[in-house]
Amino acid sequence: MTRSVEVAFAVARKDLTSEWRTRELVPALGQFVVLALVIANFGFQIDSQNAATIAPGVLWLALVFAGLVAFGRAFAAEREQASLEAMLLTPASPVAIFAGKALAAALLLIACEVVLLPALALLFGTPLNVALVAAVLLATVGMAALGCLFAAMVARVRAREVLLPLLTLPLWIPFIIAGGQAVQVAMGASGSYNQAVALLIDFDILFVVLTSLAARFVLDD
Amino acid sequence: MTKTYERLTAVAVLLMLLAAGMIFLYAPEDYLQKEPQRIFYLHVSAAIAAFACFLAVLVGSVIYLRTENARADRLARAAALVGVVLTTVTLVMGMLYAKPIWGTFWTWDARLTSTLVLWIIYAGYLLLRRLAEPGPQVARYAAVAGIFGFVDVPIVYFSVTWWRTVHPGPVIVTNALPPEMLITFLVTMACTLFLAAVMVGIRYRIETLLDEAPSGAEATIRGTQREPELAR
Repeated sequence: MTRSVEVAFAVARKDLTSEWRTRELVPALGQFVVLALVIANFGFQIDSQNAATIAPGVLWLALVFAGLVAFGRAFAAEREQASLEAMLLTPASPVAIFAGKALAAALLLIACEVVLLPALALLFGTPLNVALVAAVLLATVGMAALGCLFAAMVARVRAREVLLPLLTLPLWIPFIIAGGQAVQVAMGASGSYNQAVALLIDFDILFVVLTSLAARFVLDD
Repeated sequence: MTKTYERLTAVAVLLMLLAAGMIFLYAPEDYLQKEPQRIFYLHVSAAIAAFACFLAVLVGSVIYLRTENARADRLARAAALVGVVLTTVTLVMGMLYAKPIWGTFWTWDARLTSTLVLWIIYAGYLLLRRLAEPGPQVARYAAVAGIFGFVDVPIVYFSVTWWRTVHPGPVIVTNALPPEMLITFLVTMACTLFLAAVMVGIRYRIETLLDEAPSGAEATIRGTQREPELAR
C-alpha cells in the first residue's frame, strides 16, 4: 500500500518535473483561458449588469476545455516516447501509475485555475472568495480522475483528439451541474451552497473509486 | 439462421401494427390532452426498451471485463446501437408531445436532460467503437465507457431534480390510467420490447459475421479504409 503511494508520487513528480523543465503546458493553458474570457466578452456583450449571471458559465466552459487539453497532453508525451509501456513493465501496479498521472494532471489544471479565477474576477468584476475556490477545486478532483482515465484510453486509439471530448464531457456533466450551482451561489445567486458542495464531494468519492477500479482494465495490456 | 431472423422480423412488424391499431382505435382519447396523449404509449415503451438495451450493454460490458468473452462484447455492441436508436425515438416523440402540451419542443427538465445525456454517452460509445481499431483493447475500453455511462445517467437525473420538473410523473405504478389505456400501454410495451430484442438479435448476428470475416473484409463491408489489422 505504502509502496503504491510512493509509486504514485514518483510518477506525479516525474510529470511535474518534466513540465517544470519544458514549461510547455501551463503557460499555454493560462493563455488559453484568458483568450476564452476575451472571446466570451465579445460573444456575450458583457456589461456590469449581466456579468454576474454570465461569469459562472464562462468559468465552466473555459475550465472544461482547458481540462481536455491538459488531460489529453498527460499521456501524449508518454505516447510519443512509447514510455508508458516501459512503465507498465515495471512491477509497479498500473493503478498507482494511473493515480500519479492523474495527480500531476490535476495539479497542472489547478495551476491553470490560478490564472483563470483571478482573471475572471478582474475582467468580469465577480467576487473571488473561498467558497468559489473550494467548489472549483472539489470539481477538479473528480474531473481529473475521469479525464485521465479516458485520456489513457484514447492515447492508444486513432482519432484521439475527437474521441477524448466525446467520451469525457458527458461524464463531467454531474460535476458541472453541482459545481455550476455552487459557483453561482458563491457569486451571489440564491440557492443552497452546502447541498451543492456535498454533492460534489459525493461525486468525487464515487468517481475516484470507480476510476481506480477501471484503471487496471485501461492500462493493462 | 437468416430464415429465423426473417420470421422474427415479420412477427415484430405485425406486433407493432397491432400496437398501433390499439393506440389509435382501442385506447380512449384523453380528456385534457386530446390526441397528443397517444404519443405516450410508444414514447414510454421506447424509453423502457432503450433502458433495457443499455442494461444489456452494462451486463455485456461487466461480463467482458471479467471473462474477456467475445460474445459478451458483441452483445454490448449490438444492444448499444439499438439502444441509441430507441433513445432517438423517445427524444423525438417526446418533443412532438411537448410542443402542443408544454408549448415548447425542449425544456431543461431532469428527465429530458438525463435522456439527452444518455443519448450523447452511448452515441460516443458507438463512435469509440467505430473510430478505434477493432480488437480486444478497444473492446475493453468500450466496456469501461459502457459501465461509466450507465452510472452517470441516474446521477445526472438526480442532480437536476433540484430544478422544477415539468415532465409528467409516473402514471403506471400509481394506478392513474383507465384500464383501456393500461392494456394498450402494456401491449405496446411488450411489442416494443420484442422488436428491440429482434433488432439486437439481428445486430448480434451481423457483429458475429463481421468478427468471423477474414481480415480486411470489414473495411470492404463498411466502406471505410483501415490500417491492416494485427489481431481480431
